[in-house]
Amino acid sequence: MIEGIRGIQEMMEREQYVTDRAIATTAYLAMELRKPILIEGQAGVGKTEIAKVLASALNTELIRLQCYEGLDVNTALYEWNYPKQMLRIKMEEGSRKDADEQESLIFSDSFLLKRPLLRAITAEDKPPVLLIDEVDRSDEEFEAFLLEVLSDFQVTIPELGTIRARHRPYVVLTSNRTRELSDALKRRCLYLWIDYPSFDKELRILTTKVPGINDRLARQVAMFMQAVRQVKLNKTPGVAETLDWAMSMMALHQDHLEQETVRETLGAFIKDRDDVARLSGKALEVLVGGMNGAEDEDVTQWTQSVTQRLEREVATR
Amino acid sequence: MDPVGNPAPRERSRYALKSRARYADLQRHVISFGRELRRRELLATSTETVDALRALECVDIGDREDVYTSLRSVFTSRLEDVPIFDQVFNQFWQRIAEVEQQPDNADDLPSEAGEAGDLEQSGEGEEQLRLTSPDAGEGAEEGEGDEEALPLYSPIEMLVNKDFSRFNADEMTEIARAVLVIAKRLATKESRRTRISTRSHLIDPRRTMRRNMKYGGTILELARKRRKIRKPRLVLICDVSRSMDTYSRFLLQFIHAMQNTLGKVESFVFSTTLTRVTPYFKNEDIQDALDRIAREVEDWSGGTRIGQSLQTFNERWARKLVDRHTIVLILSDGLDTGDAEILRAAMEVLDERAAKVIWLNPLLGSKDYRPLARGMSTALDHVDVFAPAHNLASLLDLSKHLAV
Repeated sequence: MIEGIRGIQEMMEREQYVTDRAIATTAYLAMELRKPILIEGQAGVGKTEIAKVLASALNTELIRLQCYEGLDVNTALYEWNYPKQMLRIKMEEGSRKDADEQESLIFSDSFLLKRPLLRAITAEDKPPVLLIDEVDRSDEEFEAFLLEVLSDFQVTIPELGTIRARHRPYVVLTSNRTRELSDALKRRCLYLWIDYPSFDKELRILTTKVPGINDRLARQVAMFMQAVRQVKLNKTPGVAETLDWAMSMMALHQDHLEQETVRETLGAFIKDRDDVARLSGKALEVLVGGMNGAEDEDVTQWTQSVTQRLEREVATR
Repeated sequence: MDPVGNPAPRERSRYALKSRARYADLQRHVISFGRELRRRELLATSTETVDALRALECVDIGDREDVYTSLRSVFTSRLEDVPIFDQVFNQFWQRIAEVEQQPDNADDLPSEAGEAGDLEQSGEGEEQLRLTSPDAGEGAEEGEGDEEALPLYSPIEMLVNKDFSRFNADEMTEIARAVLVIAKRLATKESRRTRISTRSHLIDPRRTMRRNMKYGGTILELARKRRKIRKPRLVLICDVSRSMDTYSRFLLQFIHAMQNTLGKVESFVFSTTLTRVTPYFKNEDIQDALDRIAREVEDWSGGTRIGQSLQTFNERWARKLVDRHTIVLILSDGLDTGDAEILRAAMEVLDERAAKVIWLNPLLGSKDYRPLARGMSTALDHVDVFAPAHNLASLLDLSKHLAV
């Protein structure tokens, strides 16, 4: 591993983000090649987090554009502050400004409401991190517009002229794959797929993010999650859920998993009624029962054997 | 050989600095790597290849993981690309490792392709690459478009060749009328986007301010906007297996009419395999279109494998064609000879992705029919509307289901 990548990795770990080589390498390349990163992955694997961590590691501003259906250029780029414009016109009524003066006054910078994309382009001191979150939720027209902004980093406002980026922002796009993005947009980006974490990574995340968690509980929670993700559920729990659950176990002063407590706290990480029903019966016994005492076993083997029994349980329901 | 445990990490290993000949080799391999990926339908044109070479300059080329991750981030663009990439990468890595092992000039390495050979001789950097590869890349590919995506079958592979020669003219006009009614229904869905309008209750503040500057800012005229109308997309998947023989001609006319009235319509036919027929119906005479389909669709009037066909659809087309605004219309009798589990799984995926899944079943018109066919009953869980499609009346009835 070369210095640069290690540097990024250390920088991100300092921000309490447990990362791996693939993430660090892609982040490093994005900076070196000045290309946006397109991050895809299941919900709750920490896609958005990467942008936040990058921003705080680089000590720069994070500008977030949350995409949704119907998001349009006015909301993403700029809007004029109409109430302020109208008030100013009222105030100027007695003055002798002619229409032209009046116009250039109220269509000036101080009446401009900068939305995320314009803010990213006009950042003063250093390049900000621009997070374009859930880009798959915007529609194709918006995607085309976005592509334009991401290629030129300049925008034109009819009343003000063309504004060019002083510093080219670092861009992170995330997508939940609800639809396929256009080839043009995908080609502009480096691609990063984030999977659910491995046991080791999840364990590291737990010990980093849940202060004071003991080794046994952390191991058991991580093992449990590895096995649960193998079961076909409506909503597979992500890392966010792992952390929520570990926190609730801590709040209940548990130092290891017990069936009863797990059943009571299932709602902390299984967010679908059918899934709760699937897991709460015999399945839970299989999962938790074999766990105490199995801490020293090889986790992969353990997961495999539990998964097989688990699938039978879930299927028979 | 496994060079992961290679010499100590080099600081910013600039491959080009080590040896010009080696850099040319590396270039050559990356180019042919990109070409191989493109052949397997990844987004890998010359732009990506240039990026890949730039990326490799930033990392340690002796470190397999670095090289793997860098190239993957450049050459893949969706999860489905990754396994293909992995396969091709293994071969590529072996070649790179050979280059790495080569003491000096590597002229005797087996040459990949003619174009790459040129590069090797001149041994120049990126500029050269930019000049040589585009013609092999985008230019040639862009033009192919739909043709390339459609598998072409030779006449010998056709199982049965059908003649669609006689069409009743009355039938045609009736269908056209039914489709118009349906199309009107579809074309009235409002979106959250807006467009300029003169009669609407929505005020457009940006344009209002602009327009009233001429009155010194007193608002005398209101500019208005109205919501855009969004036509939902439609994907039609029609069963043309033997059991559907009596209906498929009629349904294909329907598809033809839909496609020519409604813009965003994609159509497919299947019996044991799936074929995209959208291009056949484009502005073509219905007669010609049907002739071509009968000629070119491989197993017209063959057996039925709905599950496999829908699975193929999900894998190859769904992510491009189906989103939350898409209605998927399946026209089939559900008499499947394939694996019911595959059908169930495929329907589940489709249901998840689409706004609505509508299953039109011509057999539903007969009073005795119960959806007991194994395939049909498993699929029903994931169908939003299950309706008959045996005559025009039933198609007209369909229009009330076609709003997202």
